[in-house]
Amino acid sequence: MSQRSFELPVLGRPAPVDHAAAAAAFNADVARTDWHDDALWFVREKRDRAAALVPDWEDLRERASAIKEHALSHLDEYLVQFEANALANGMQVHWARDADEHNRIVLRILSDVGARRLVKSKSMLTEECGLNPYLEANGIEVVDSDLGERIVQLRKEGPSHIVMPAIHLTKEEVGETFHEHLGTPAGLSEPIALAGVAREHLRERFLAADATLTGMNFAVAETGGFVVCTNEGNADLGMALAPVHIASVGIEKVIPRAEDLAVFLRLLARSATGQAVTVYTTHVHGPRDGQALHVVLVDNGRTKQLAREEFWGSLKCIRCGACMNTCPIYRRSGGHSYGSTVPGPIGSVLTPGLDLERYASLPFASTLCGSCTAVCPVKIDLDGQLFRWRQRVIEAGYTSTTKTLSIKASVKLFDRPGLFRVAGALARFGLKIMPRSVARFVAGPWGRARDVPPAPGQSFRAWYRKNRGERS
Amino acid sequence: MSVKEARDAILHAVRAARPPAVAMPVARATPVATADAQPSMLDAFVDASTAAGAAVVLGERRDIARLVTGGVADAANVLSTVSEVRATVELASDPHALDSLELFVCSGTLGVAENGAIWLATSDMMQRAALFLATHVAIVVDAASIVPTLHEAYARIDIRAHPFGVFVAGPSKTADIEQSLVIGAHGPKELTVIVIGASALQTP
Amino acid sequence: MTAALFIPCYVDQFFPHVAIAALTVLDRLGVRVDVPDGAVCCGQPSANAGYAREGRSTLERFVDVYAEYDRVIVLSGSCAVHVKHHAGEVVAHGSRTDRAGAQVAERTTELCTFLHDEIGVDRVASLGATLDKRVAVHIGCHALRGLGLARPSELQVRPFDKVRALLGTVRGLEIAELSRPDECCGFGGTFAVAEPDISVKMGRDRLRDYRRHDAEAVVSTDMSCLMHLGGLARRERIGLPMYHVAEVLAGTAGVT
Repeated sequence: MSQRSFELPVLGRPAPVDHAAAAAAFNADVARTDWHDDALWFVREKRDRAAALVPDWEDLRERASAIKEHALSHLDEYLVQFEANALANGMQVHWARDADEHNRIVLRILSDVGARRLVKSKSMLTEECGLNPYLEANGIEVVDSDLGERIVQLRKEGPSHIVMPAIHLTKEEVGETFHEHLGTPAGLSEPIALAGVAREHLRERFLAADATLTGMNFAVAETGGFVVCTNEGNADLGMALAPVHIASVGIEKVIPRAEDLAVFLRLLARSATGQAVTVYTTHVHGPRDGQALHVVLVDNGRTKQLAREEFWGSLKCIRCGACMNTCPIYRRSGGHSYGSTVPGPIGSVLTPGLDLERYASLPFASTLCGSCTAVCPVKIDLDGQLFRWRQRVIEAGYTSTTKTLSIKASVKLFDRPGLFRVAGALARFGLKIMPRSVARFVAGPWGRARDVPPAPGQSFRAWYRKNRGERS
Repeated sequence: MSVKEARDAILHAVRAARPPAVAMPVARATPVATADAQPSMLDAFVDASTAAGAAVVLGERRDIARLVTGGVADAANVLSTVSEVRATVELASDPHALDSLELFVCSGTLGVAENGAIWLATSDMMQRAALFLATHVAIVVDAASIVPTLHEAYARIDIRAHPFGVFVAGPSKTADIEQSLVIGAHGPKELTVIVIGASALQTP
Repeated sequence: MTAALFIPCYVDQFFPHVAIAALTVLDRLGVRVDVPDGAVCCGQPSANAGYAREGRSTLERFVDVYAEYDRVIVLSGSCAVHVKHHAGEVVAHGSRTDRAGAQVAERTTELCTFLHDEIGVDRVASLGATLDKRVAVHIGCHALRGLGLARPSELQVRPFDKVRALLGTVRGLEIAELSRPDECCGFGGTFAVAEPDISVKMGRDRLRDYRRHDAEAVVSTDMSCLMHLGGLARRERIGLPMYHVAEVLAGTAGVT
């Protein structure tokens, strides 16, 4: 299902995301689901192999979690420290309370210098803010320079994964897109050739850019600088060439010290792609001569999440995507099915905080298997938070009367063992005498593809009473 | 105007929202690197660098010119910060002029054994641009400068000393098209790592 | 030491033979257990559906029924995890103290964990179980990551597997190595009916993994997983019998 993951609300509010329906549509193509699932599982396996080579892996995770919790619990101090040092380094520092303010700041920086061509490297934050459509509506040409992002940009879709934006596309589909927009021959789908064309195409854009915008993987309070990790070198080409560099970052990305980078960087690429490190880990501590370097610190709901005792741990996220790669539901439903900028398990604990009604289905897009929690390099208790978001969703009333009534009915049954025994016996008897086709129907969504268990003659309780006598 | 307003509002919100203080974890005990660990660190570095797609060669300073230009035949367009290799390009002040650079040769400060990365930092923005615009990049690094992990690396470098610093591990790459690895994304297509001084590491 | 056995609702109704097998195993190992009446459910289905508040009474009843026992052995990994994580939230009421919930949480254990940690593999071996089959082992996710029944494949710690250790006492049993050793089966409680397409797909993928590695049967710690996988296998007429670890140890696997 190709659609932008960010929707501009036009009239009224966007419809609530129905993950189950989107997942059903995705699964209709079994072969494609298997292909998508295998591709992501392969990345999970690469992560396992890389992690196994780091003897202190679990200790690193514990450290990373503690450093992040420390930083978040002192976030105002570190933000102030970062700002002071960044200013001393010759950067300009802006603050944005929400997406709109961020977008307006970026536009103003561009308009102030008459910049009309912007080259962007990957920033999930700017996706979240809907920056691209805003700038385009204001006459700025925006080119996403990360290859995966460029592909989905040309297709007018949103990224389906925060690290591998085009993971949901086959090379044939990429070839079609390049044929339509970059003039490659029809039917050309060979990745090296396609990447070569993209290199030429984007090289032109880098050279012609009036400004570049990057995200930040980490902002370092102690030094007033920031780190950008890429494999393609696209962020660097933007930064090395454009006269204006804007770096947008969510306030939760600030870490205390330079030495802390070692902990996170040893975890990041291994968790994300199974590489020991990304090709480029760029540290920026000031503008080039004659260049303007602007930092935009963005809240956009982060302080609200920070205030949530049950969910602030989700702000530790370093955007590695490992939870998506391991999640059996993400792999079989694709990033777009979550209808949010950040999908998968972390998306399902971050996004409900922005709009609980709209994203009420996301915490339920999970079996709570806990694999995400086990791979998270900063030890976010993802499955615990998913469980707690479910309670918040139901408390807020974003559920159906049928569901509530059936839960209440089942609770009544469980609280009355005598009644339960009778109901159970009836159900088993019914299953015994019911034709299979009727049993399937009665079993509802269960029965569409699964048989109900064969009905035994007596319950265990009945057997126990008969054979072991009543014991209290 | 509203810059102060937004700043104050955000900081106020953070102060009101932040969870109870969590202590910074105690610094990890760093294993002391011994001189005779160096040859195996060199091996680890070479392996990791190769795995990242770099062509790694061992040699001495006098070999640099041969090793570099031998690998890039007919490199007419060369920029170098290494005295052993002569630049052919005039350094202008505009990095855009380096677009057709074929080869950039430079020195790295240290290497990291666990991931094959080399640290370079500079205030010279032409060098920075060359590192990404050149089709081929060669980096010279001293075997004695190889450290085990990023922990040791950060202990030795001052990331604030220059406006630009980077850990480089391999040539640019992407797997964004159906997970097929393509070497040479937007940055260099090839990276040659020249490790000098390996012979000096041999334990007598 | 006083011990009680908790039989989850669906095991009581649909898989009594598994409960009987568990009782048999405990009997033969000399572990006397009560099977008290009164608590049909641990409260997990409501809680996982987001109705923890509505399901509180169920968990409170569980605590009341099992408060007296030194050990509460639960025949389900997911039920045991739920009780261990949430029983401590149960408050004082009537004769129940504030500590009752926390105590029950602490004293609750799952059957395989109990057999491995407190009885020991050597004593379990004295059961002399045999099963001449090549089996796939499925440790339910809650038992795996919530109770530490084995090293989950994500974790970089020394490998261990309590279920394999128990099954290692069964003569003739061969364990198949799978492509995805611990991927979730897709049951997930209400997930099975709320997101049936993915639930079914996940189950089918497990079955495919088992068959690809020539498993003749599936052995699990959780009947909820097997209810789902078994339902799929039967609908698709895949002959893959499903047994609880207790049945294998009791020697009743496949015996009607």
